[in-house]
Amino acid sequence: MPISFEHVSYIYSKGTPYEYKALDDVCLDIEEGKMTAVIGQTGSGKSTLVQHLNALLLPETGTVKVLDRTITASEKPKRLKSLRGDVGLVFQFPEYQLFEETVLKDVAFGPKNFGASEEEAKKRALNALKLVGLGEEYCERSPLELSGGQKRRIAIAGILAMNPKVLVLDEPTAGLDPKGTESMMKLFHELNRGHGKTILIVTHDMEQVFRYCDRVIVMEDGKVRVHTDTETFFRNPAACQEMHILPPALIRMKELLKENGFEVPDDILSIDALADCIARQVKKHG
Amino acid sequence: MGNITLGRYIPLDSPIHKMDPRAKIMAMLLVLIAIFFPAGWTGYAIIFAAAALTIIIGKLSFTFIWKAMKPMLFMLAFLFVINAFLLKTGDPLFTVGSFTLYSDAVFQTLYIAVRLLLMVMITTCLTATTKPLDMTLGIEDLLKPFQKIHVPAHEIAMLISIALRFIPDLIDETQRIIKAQESRGVDLQEGKLTDRIMAILSLIVPLFVSAFQRAEDLANAMEARGYAPGEKRTRYKVLKMEGRDYILLAGAVLLLAGMVWLAYFR
Repeated sequence: MPISFEHVSYIYSKGTPYEYKALDDVCLDIEEGKMTAVIGQTGSGKSTLVQHLNALLLPETGTVKVLDRTITASEKPKRLKSLRGDVGLVFQFPEYQLFEETVLKDVAFGPKNFGASEEEAKKRALNALKLVGLGEEYCERSPLELSGGQKRRIAIAGILAMNPKVLVLDEPTAGLDPKGTESMMKLFHELNRGHGKTILIVTHDMEQVFRYCDRVIVMEDGKVRVHTDTETFFRNPAACQEMHILPPALIRMKELLKENGFEVPDDILSIDALADCIARQVKKHG
Repeated sequence: MGNITLGRYIPLDSPIHKMDPRAKIMAMLLVLIAIFFPAGWTGYAIIFAAAALTIIIGKLSFTFIWKAMKPMLFMLAFLFVINAFLLKTGDPLFTVGSFTLYSDAVFQTLYIAVRLLLMVMITTCLTATTKPLDMTLGIEDLLKPFQKIHVPAHEIAMLISIALRFIPDLIDETQRIIKAQESRGVDLQEGKLTDRIMAILSLIVPLFVSAFQRAEDLANAMEARGYAPGEKRTRYKVLKMEGRDYILLAGAVLLLAGMVWLAYFR
């Protein structure tokens, strides 16, 4: 198991009137090589959870194990740096972290911090920019003058250039247009399938979870409410509703069809298969 | 950064919290002036007692005051060293080599320390018990008479309230950017000088970019809702002086008068 949480709790502003328990005795194993979605309502502890993965936050109690490293409350900051190279964390609205004069320099900033030579960092930056779909013509432009979507890509390239084994994304598509969202999700899918990266993605979009993710973690009041594979998770739409989660359109469509007397097998998970299935039944009844 | 106590509002429920901000600001100014009269140790003891009483009624803790005082200690130590070398009056206390410490150096520093402590106590009584927005309402009202001599009272109050309103946001933003850059391997604690400069740049540039962005958004949002500084405006919250506010003011005036008497007429 590359990532596991053992009885992890985290409290914000401990010992003040603002004290707030964000994680409460979380036990969790995250599989290597999978794409896992973390969902849950605002304030359920999603962001706090993912910030433990590269030790930006240290657990108040309990231990986090990430790639053979064990993180506890008494961790020394020195040992954490190399971990941050292995677990790339992309924050919400990462475009706000851009600061260099040129796109290339900004993307190369991460690898240089982790000890890559100038040449090596540049090579990795070019590679990462290609991955996110930005050509060499952007390299010498100022990141601050580009559009929001392009800035986001550059910021993500900045993390990819560190070549992390685990990629953690906190709402990476928030505020992007549908086309931008689609190509962003395809990129993450490709990084997972093609490059074998373990991906953890915090999201509110159930269509994304349904289409791209293998596993689902539902957080609620600082606890893990559900941890299962996507298919099983959406097989029970009633349970989703109970957790205030609106299932994806296809699942809702299937429910409606079932209510109206159609026979819809559980293993139909694409719109085409569903259309075929309905067509057959309609024909049969003539 | 969560440990900054000087000037922070503590949401509690006490008679001091409920007082009119105008009364509190006026009382604070009067007592601050009172501190600067050379009324001797008796005077300071009286002011200390008054401030301590306010703190107790305001349900504030003395550890909170002490925390607010802490950053001043370094300054006081520095002052003491300078006084020790420069003030050569009073009785010699002891001699080490060619250096002699005189009693005036000690008393002067102590005097300033006490004044500073009293000032921190009094200002904390105001800031910890008054919501930033109430404070600006109070400031605006108190500046109103000066509008006759073209002091832009409303604009000043609006400036202050916007600045205060954005402090927590900017602190959050800074922490967010620190975390984002730490995730990219920035090390703020150690490293070579060039690396450290780079690390600080990686914080400051994004912080400025987002601060300017926020300022522009806010300006547009205000204009879109028809905000114009000179216009006559009504208020949602209307300040009203009550009995306890007059008692506070009377107390402050009495304190000031007492200090003047102790200093010059005794």
